[in-house]
Amino acid sequence: MARIVTFVCLSLALVAFIGCGGESAEKAASHDTPAAGANDPFADLSGTLDIAGGTAHIPVMEEAAREIMTAHPGINITVAGGGSGVGARKVGEGLVQIGNTGRPLSEDEIQEYGLVSHPFAVDGVCAVVHPDNPVAELTRAQLQAAFAGEISNWRELGGPDRPIHLFTRDEASGTRKVFWKKGLDKGEISEGANVVASNGAMKTAVAQDSDALGYVSVGHLDDALKAPRLDGVEVTQANAAAGVYPVTRKLFMNTKGEPTGLTAAFIAFVQGPRGARIVQDSGYIPLTAGH
Amino acid sequence: MSFFTRFRFETAAAWLTAAAVGAVLLFLLFSVWPLLVSGEILGTLRGGWRPFAAEPSYGIGPMVLVSLLMAGGAVLLAFPLAVGVAMFIHGTGSRRLRGPVQALVAFLTGVPTVVYGFVAVILLVPMMRHLDAGTTGYGLLPAILTLALLILPTMILVLDARLGRQDRLWMQTGLALGMSPGQTLQHVLLPQARGGLVTAMVLGLNRALGDTLVALMVAGNAARLPEGFLDSVRSLTAHIALVLATDTFSPEYRSVAAAALVLFLLTSGLTLGIRYLASSGESA
Amino acid sequence: MRRSGGQLLTLFSWLAAAFLALVCAGLVIFLVARGWGGLGAGFLFGDGPVWSALAGRRPVFDGIWPSVVGTLQLVAGASLLALPVGILTGIHLSEHPQRPPGRVLRLAVDVLAGVPSIIMGLFGFGMILVLRHTFFKQANTGLLPAMICLALLVLPYLARTTENALQALPESLRLAGPSLGLTTGQSLRRILLPAARPGILSGVLLAVGRVAEDTAVILMTGAVANSGLPGSLTGKFQALPFDIYYLAAEHRGPEDLVRAFATALLLLGLTTALLVAARLILRGMDRREGWNR
Repeated sequence: MARIVTFVCLSLALVAFIGCGGESAEKAASHDTPAAGANDPFADLSGTLDIAGGTAHIPVMEEAAREIMTAHPGINITVAGGGSGVGARKVGEGLVQIGNTGRPLSEDEIQEYGLVSHPFAVDGVCAVVHPDNPVAELTRAQLQAAFAGEISNWRELGGPDRPIHLFTRDEASGTRKVFWKKGLDKGEISEGANVVASNGAMKTAVAQDSDALGYVSVGHLDDALKAPRLDGVEVTQANAAAGVYPVTRKLFMNTKGEPTGLTAAFIAFVQGPRGARIVQDSGYIPLTAGH
Repeated sequence: MSFFTRFRFETAAAWLTAAAVGAVLLFLLFSVWPLLVSGEILGTLRGGWRPFAAEPSYGIGPMVLVSLLMAGGAVLLAFPLAVGVAMFIHGTGSRRLRGPVQALVAFLTGVPTVVYGFVAVILLVPMMRHLDAGTTGYGLLPAILTLALLILPTMILVLDARLGRQDRLWMQTGLALGMSPGQTLQHVLLPQARGGLVTAMVLGLNRALGDTLVALMVAGNAARLPEGFLDSVRSLTAHIALVLATDTFSPEYRSVAAAALVLFLLTSGLTLGIRYLASSGESA
Repeated sequence: MRRSGGQLLTLFSWLAAAFLALVCAGLVIFLVARGWGGLGAGFLFGDGPVWSALAGRRPVFDGIWPSVVGTLQLVAGASLLALPVGILTGIHLSEHPQRPPGRVLRLAVDVLAGVPSIIMGLFGFGMILVLRHTFFKQANTGLLPAMICLALLVLPYLARTTENALQALPESLRLAGPSLGLTTGQSLRRILLPAARPGILSGVLLAVGRVAEDTAVILMTGAVANSGLPGSLTGKFQALPFDIYYLAAEHRGPEDLVRAFATALLLLGLTTALLVAARLILRGMDRREGWNR
């Protein structure tokens, strides 16, 4: 019996060690990495940078982290989700160095935690329907009425005689906030609407239901969804960047006080030209495009 | 005698467990304290959840009811099935199939909640839509069905553990008396295993009440009282998950502490209640 | 009448087992159909040679290998913490069923069993903050807090199933020890525990399965989307259930969905492997002790 227990403990410990040993070997290796540029701000930096916050930011953060970590093996960057509120709280409590939010910080958050915001991208939010839905255009008034529950049949919007299935986002969502504020002019959203917890969940819901009406971040649009024109304006990144499509919000990185060292270098990276390229590749709009 | 034979490890372990429970309780009380002090606590139970209305209210009443309905429905469905499969493993099933079925059960316990939820969204929700054109497919019924499936393996494993070694002795006794395996189970083994039945029900109920992801992905999350089984509903756990990411200083966020406390009281209360009822007839 | 009662139950039990098998098959077929294409060396290790990734010599960005290691470490750590405490607590409970200390402890175990995973996650996060403000300024989310919270989560399962398994033993076994002059400890070790082993194993399987697949707890206590191989007990880590959740929640295209299903298949495969290993160890133990098989 004791032998078995010892064997089990040893194998568990072995597994644990394999994992731990990996990290130090990683840091020791410094070959086969592309040469860093002359003015590389990360040249003398090392250590760990922890980022948390809204899940919408993860693609950008991950890609930036990957480029930096590949070029500088001494730097380790971790990226977590959790939502905007959690991001603000974590950075405020000092658990992470950067907390991302998809909405501006609240007064309380700024005061209690002493946070500083650094916008780095613009994201559009648009209404979406199923690709088979014939409705190609909606006015703001129609959108408001539909989400408030006053219009409950697609027939009244120029579509087939089917009930409208409403989908909205959770209370914490920055996507919801900007859609409500700028898309619905702060109009009411029906209490009976289904609440989904993420852009991905919204996509799944709308892509599977030909009677669905929801809204999603423009960065998440693909062939599984259809975005009707809003007041005649096509939903494209270009239109959002140009300000022609009005329903947009900024994405923020937040720090406790002014950032220094690795944190500051990372923020500068994301806000700079290489970061702008990553932002664009991720489906968002770089801030430098005139916002 | 050495230290190791004298020191009652199990007693120490038991007290450690008790200490952990105490810590969790304290934590919950501590989080709810601001609500209690400010008197908001009553408001959270009354009224509905309307945070964006002209006169906002942050009541979690509907969520409490929904949690109970969901968990109750799930256990109602899963319990008989669990007993059925446990009986199969310990008596009525053919000798060759017993092992494979046990393996299946063990396999299913490893399926993550998120997979159940995800598969339900892709397979079950469209099926619900066929039942009624007005429904989006997300609602109370698909959530109950998915939850029932989720807690089934756990319940079977618990029953399996209880029926354990006794089955052979009792089955042989029954056979000697001329009873079929089914009869032996019905009249001898299962009554003997009442403790296990209660445990299974309790653990299943707890799991169903406390599950977050299935409720979040499948139930629809509209924060109001349901009028039918296909209505979109929100459980306490889904509510916590949805509101957790809001601004820490907002009134919405404070409802998280209230929801957590109510959820905890519900699960503990139901657990203790069932145990009390069962112990009035149970043999040691 | 009596005969048909037994027959009805038998029929029902067969139907229940068939239903279970059907559901299991359906689930696996669905996952395989949607996710098998996503599996592969690239899925695990990203682009680049496999061996250097395994040896930890190069960071893996596009692969989920770090999540695999993270999950294994979670299981190992949480098990190391929970198994001894849980099983010992169960033993204690079975030894003292009625007296007041036993009653209170049973109550405590039941209450702990009732704590939902999301509240356990909140508790973990709250504890970290408390530590940060009081004794341990460096406290942060990471592998260790996640392990502890997961251990707390499965503790009641272990205690309860151990207690049930021991109580289910026939009275004759319980009396055998003392009648031979053994102390309680010796009876436990040599007679009761080996006899109750299958029951205890069920509890262990439950616990291990739960630890491997729980998402809510690790979400709040340190799981991240991207951290590379976990470096230490205090570092952030990746885990498979979190990856599945993240992909399901934020998928940006059909490839992401395929990855989600592939990850689910991988996690299932991992848990199955763990359970099979546990069973093999049990069979080895039985063969050695030759107990009644």
